[in-house]
Amino acid sequence: MAKLNYYLPVMLVALVLGIILAMQFRVTNYPLEGVPINRDRELANELRELTREIKVMEEEIADLEYNLEQIQTGQAEVTDAMISEVAKTRLGAGLVSVTGPGVEVILNNPPHPDGRPGGSLFIIRDEDMLKVVNELRGSGAEAISINGQRLLSFSEVRLAGSFINVNLTRVVPPYQILAVGPADQMEESLLLPGGLAEFMQDVGIQVTVEKHDSLTVPAYKGDWSTVYAKPAQRG
Amino acid sequence: MWLGIILASLGLLVGLLIGFNVPLVLPQAYAKYMSVAALAALDSVFGGIRAAMEEHFDQSIFVTGFFSNALLAAGLAFAGERLGIDLYLAAVVAFGVRIFQNLGVIRRHLLKK
Repeated sequence: MAKLNYYLPVMLVALVLGIILAMQFRVTNYPLEGVPINRDRELANELRELTREIKVMEEEIADLEYNLEQIQTGQAEVTDAMISEVAKTRLGAGLVSVTGPGVEVILNNPPHPDGRPGGSLFIIRDEDMLKVVNELRGSGAEAISINGQRLLSFSEVRLAGSFINVNLTRVVPPYQILAVGPADQMEESLLLPGGLAEFMQDVGIQVTVEKHDSLTVPAYKGDWSTVYAKPAQRG
Repeated sequence: MWLGIILASLGLLVGLLIGFNVPLVLPQAYAKYMSVAALAALDSVFGGIRAAMEEHFDQSIFVTGFFSNALLAAGLAFAGERLGIDLYLAAVVAFGVRIFQNLGVIRRHLLKK
């Protein structure tokens, strides 16, 4: 058994030889297999790189968040502007009731010559109404209604039989015309000596013009969608 | 007699298993040094077996022989690479000759018995 003393170191060296041979074999045949010996340095480099990248990304995040904030505040402003624009447009289009100083004009057919109730020979025609409306508009009226029918850009005042249609709705005397606008100016232009009111009174129409500090012109209540008109393409 | 060869083979086998399962790979650049080191180790193993059979085995001589051979071979390879001379060939030739000599002696011992 003394031989064992000899062979043990030989065996150990053979072990080392085996390890070396196996490693050599792997290096030669599978160069990319396993973990390279300088893997730690590679990983450290990668870590450094990634850390830097994270920092860059964080800066970008902050930047983008700032942008987002800007945009959001901008959006709120734009929304406010749009809402106020819509409100203004609705007001101008006559889709909301308006209140303000103005005049109230009441026109009535002349009474029957015999004092009997009922129709007379002369009735108020659409032209008379349009003249009044025209006069009011000419002196600065901003909103006009006839017997609760708001006059819009496409409203008609039209004689239909012995009645007058406004916004396709029949209105009957006494006609109450409400106009919001410069009250003094409108009243003066109607009551001008030799003016419209005088002329109509001469014909026999009962005309009352009354100034109000505050009166309400109702909103248009009908349908106002357009079928044929489309916005024109610009350019 | 055969015990030495069996033990050496066993060691070689275990070494191979370890080497194949270690999760480390040396860079390609060190492959040359590794090869001469492998030759040195191979020579040492054969030399050890032969010395054991001739009954004049000395542990210290064996171990120092192994290390000095391996280091000198690797050093030669390194210097050769720096100088542009393939000095590691010297190690390869020397070890190769000795391996075959040792193998021949071992063969004779085994056949004589």
